[in-house]
Amino acid sequence: MMAMMLDESDASDSELVGRARDGDREAFGRLVERHYDFVHRVAWRWCGRKADAEDIAQDVCVRLGRSIRDYRGSGAFTTWLYAMTLNAARDHARKSMRESAKTEAYGVHALISGETPEEPDDQAEALWAAVRRLPDKQRGAVLLVYGEGLSHAAAAEAMAISETTVSWHIHEAKKRLKVLMRTAGDE
Amino acid sequence: MVDDNELARLRTLRVPVPNPQAKIGALHAAMTAFDEAQEENSPVPQGSAEPQRLTSRAAKLWREIMQKKLVATPAIAGLIALPIAGYTALYLLDQQNFNFGGDRTIAETSADKPEANAPVSTSKPAKTEPAGKMEVEQSPDLDETLVAPAAPPLPKAESSAASGQAQDALTREVAPAPMAMEAAPNGVRSRDLAKTRLFVQPSVSVLPAPIDTMPPQAENRDRIEDFRTNPVHSAKDDPVSTFSIDVDTASYSFVRRSLKEGSLPQPDTVRVEEMVNYFPYDWKGPGSAETPFNSTVTVMPAPWNAQHKLMHVAIKGYDLQPATQPKANLVFLIDVSGSMNEPDKLPLLKSAFRLLVSKLKPDDTISIVTYAGDAGTVLEPTKVAEKDKILGAIDSLQPGGSTAGEAGIKQAYRLAEKSFVKDGVNRVMLATDGDFNVGQTDDGDLKRLVEQERKTGVYLSVFGFGRGNLNDRMMQTIAQNGNGTAAYIDTLQEAEKVLVEDAASTIFPIAKDVKIQVEFNPQKVSEYRLIGYETRALSREDFNNDRVDAGDIGSGHSVTAIYEITPKGAPSQINDLRYGEASTDNGGVANADEYAFVKIRYKLPNEETSKLITTPVTGANEVSSFDAAGTDQRFSVAVAAFGQKLRDEDATATFGFDRIEQIAAAARGADPFGYRSEFLSLVRLASALERNR
Repeated sequence: MMAMMLDESDASDSELVGRARDGDREAFGRLVERHYDFVHRVAWRWCGRKADAEDIAQDVCVRLGRSIRDYRGSGAFTTWLYAMTLNAARDHARKSMRESAKTEAYGVHALISGETPEEPDDQAEALWAAVRRLPDKQRGAVLLVYGEGLSHAAAAEAMAISETTVSWHIHEAKKRLKVLMRTAGDE
Repeated sequence: MVDDNELARLRTLRVPVPNPQAKIGALHAAMTAFDEAQEENSPVPQGSAEPQRLTSRAAKLWREIMQKKLVATPAIAGLIALPIAGYTALYLLDQQNFNFGGDRTIAETSADKPEANAPVSTSKPAKTEPAGKMEVEQSPDLDETLVAPAAPPLPKAESSAASGQAQDALTREVAPAPMAMEAAPNGVRSRDLAKTRLFVQPSVSVLPAPIDTMPPQAENRDRIEDFRTNPVHSAKDDPVSTFSIDVDTASYSFVRRSLKEGSLPQPDTVRVEEMVNYFPYDWKGPGSAETPFNSTVTVMPAPWNAQHKLMHVAIKGYDLQPATQPKANLVFLIDVSGSMNEPDKLPLLKSAFRLLVSKLKPDDTISIVTYAGDAGTVLEPTKVAEKDKILGAIDSLQPGGSTAGEAGIKQAYRLAEKSFVKDGVNRVMLATDGDFNVGQTDDGDLKRLVEQERKTGVYLSVFGFGRGNLNDRMMQTIAQNGNGTAAYIDTLQEAEKVLVEDAASTIFPIAKDVKIQVEFNPQKVSEYRLIGYETRALSREDFNNDRVDAGDIGSGHSVTAIYEITPKGAPSQINDLRYGEASTDNGGVANADEYAFVKIRYKLPNEETSKLITTPVTGANEVSSFDAAGTDQRFSVAVAAFGQKLRDEDATATFGFDRIEQIAAAARGADPFGYRSEFLSLVRLASALERNR
């Protein structure tokens, strides 16, 4: 993609964030450009639907534009992005729930009604479908820890909860996933 | 329990590559948000506000982007989109075997969303379709040419958003290109309305509205400007009030539509004067066209505040007799973009213009220009005597393509000049749902073009159709600068009113640049407030400056301006100045008997020097009780009260809808067209909606 050519510069995230906070449009543009795919990936993992993932990603971009000046994060920029993306994804789900009153945003139905993945990986796919049926916190924790490979501590920071709470969510999620996987298998 | 090994598989699932258009759209949205935040940069309250309507956000973003023309985002927008657009253009030049032009087909880029292909997919020429049938066709050739280039097919809206300039170049070089790049709004719309991207216009999309860190700005659906209510002025400090006349009626139609759909209009967007001026009033008119209008001033107690009075200025334009109406040379400039493909848009527009044609004289001239992917002349200047030909041309209009406003408007002006009627009326009548997508998208550029053409004698009126996409601000801008009216047509009834009942006033101007200046006598009036006309305020010095453009009055138009005044002695809202005060003993008249002095400046349609009419307002203009005022005065006051109520203004806060209804019901009069009865039903609706809020 041509856009990638723009990304040659090796200014670090924090450098770009700093400049963007001071109102540097170009730095902000580069920052968003650089992280769009990241945001999209997280959003897609969360909801499993292309169109929704794009909507969420766009929303995150807008939120970034509005709030980059308020960013005072000391840690990695991506931590903040995780938090923002998960928030946006939750808001999005809530909104589409309200609007459609359909359950299709959740669970296996999403996969049927959405576009079929390019290379169906049945097991991982089914597992993700189950993850997407978890309560929000558990879903987020599993996504960050197993989907994104974060440590419990890093996930805790992104979710703004304590590390033990993350571990607890993961624990609960595992129990629940087992049940979900079994029922999914029966279907 | 599911163990870690199993869960580790979660990482292995491939994530689809994000759609490049979505990405470009998102990046623009980010930049716009960034810029908006830059502009505000004010303290940020916490919490999230009401969910926004997405269309407005899309529209807003859209406008913002177009205004900025992306000059400032070259890094992202330009560099990505320019090569793509350029490449596509070259490609299209090579591939001229496809069938553009009169067919008005729509190219649908199905690559993005396979499920979008709801509409029938044939390559039949549109001519074989029954007239008026709203069907979207797809040209397979086109589709391939679009999909084939290495560059992904850009939905039109995005690509032009991305590169105003590139698109511009495209429009000039290859007329069909913008059409080819169209993203089949119809197809998109026919999908589940929840899934379209923000930048694929026109469409409804779902974005999570509440924002954690910043509440969204208060925004409205369509691009309607919001504004603050006129403040109360002290007659001592600031005795002079100056404004331009406004004969537009669009705001009333908006309000009506909103109420009928079950929601109160957004307060900040209600233009009270346009509501008041929507209704025909039987003010006393002038005797001849030499004095184009007559003003009647009445002072009456304010129904919503016993301490205050209303100064009601009613102006009636001279009603030209049909025999003396000048010849008309009208160019219909009709938006046939894909977004017009809705029952309340193009089909309504066709019926509306048919009505108008029936109202014209045989030697009036009509031309029709459409604009969509490319601007086209549908009908060369044709005398109304050949009515069948004109009606046939109107019927043949098909929706399709994007909106190349610039090419269309220039073409329309060319035709208007071609059949220019000296000493007649030369007018472009633009009908749109609000999109000027391609080329001249900056309101400022458009304004200059319209202004320049106005000077050559071609005026412009704007008729808005539909909802969700309407650019009221653009309509206002160009109608005000084109010496025309802006009306919003939501029903055939409204079309009947604007184009048939009021045809004469819509088409034939009797005075232009009409400005009103009122000087209040501080000895009689301590405070005053102009109700409405916020968007028409002029500086005091503009009044005598003939170069300053102002509103126009058409044949038989009635215009009403109402001031709420606090008579001397009544409790006032503004404290007197402690030090010094403006005085009248500088050669002015200190006439204790006058409330105010009303000055009206105007130009005759063919003149450049203004004339002045003055009227002192004295005790003779006053009526002792509100009920003693004329029927039409009382009705117009009821409308003004209603407008203020909808704006949620302080003045009418304690004045109930029921009281408005009483006044209006008692002042309904003959109401031959039922406009006033309809108003009553709106008041009841608003009252019910308010209660449920």
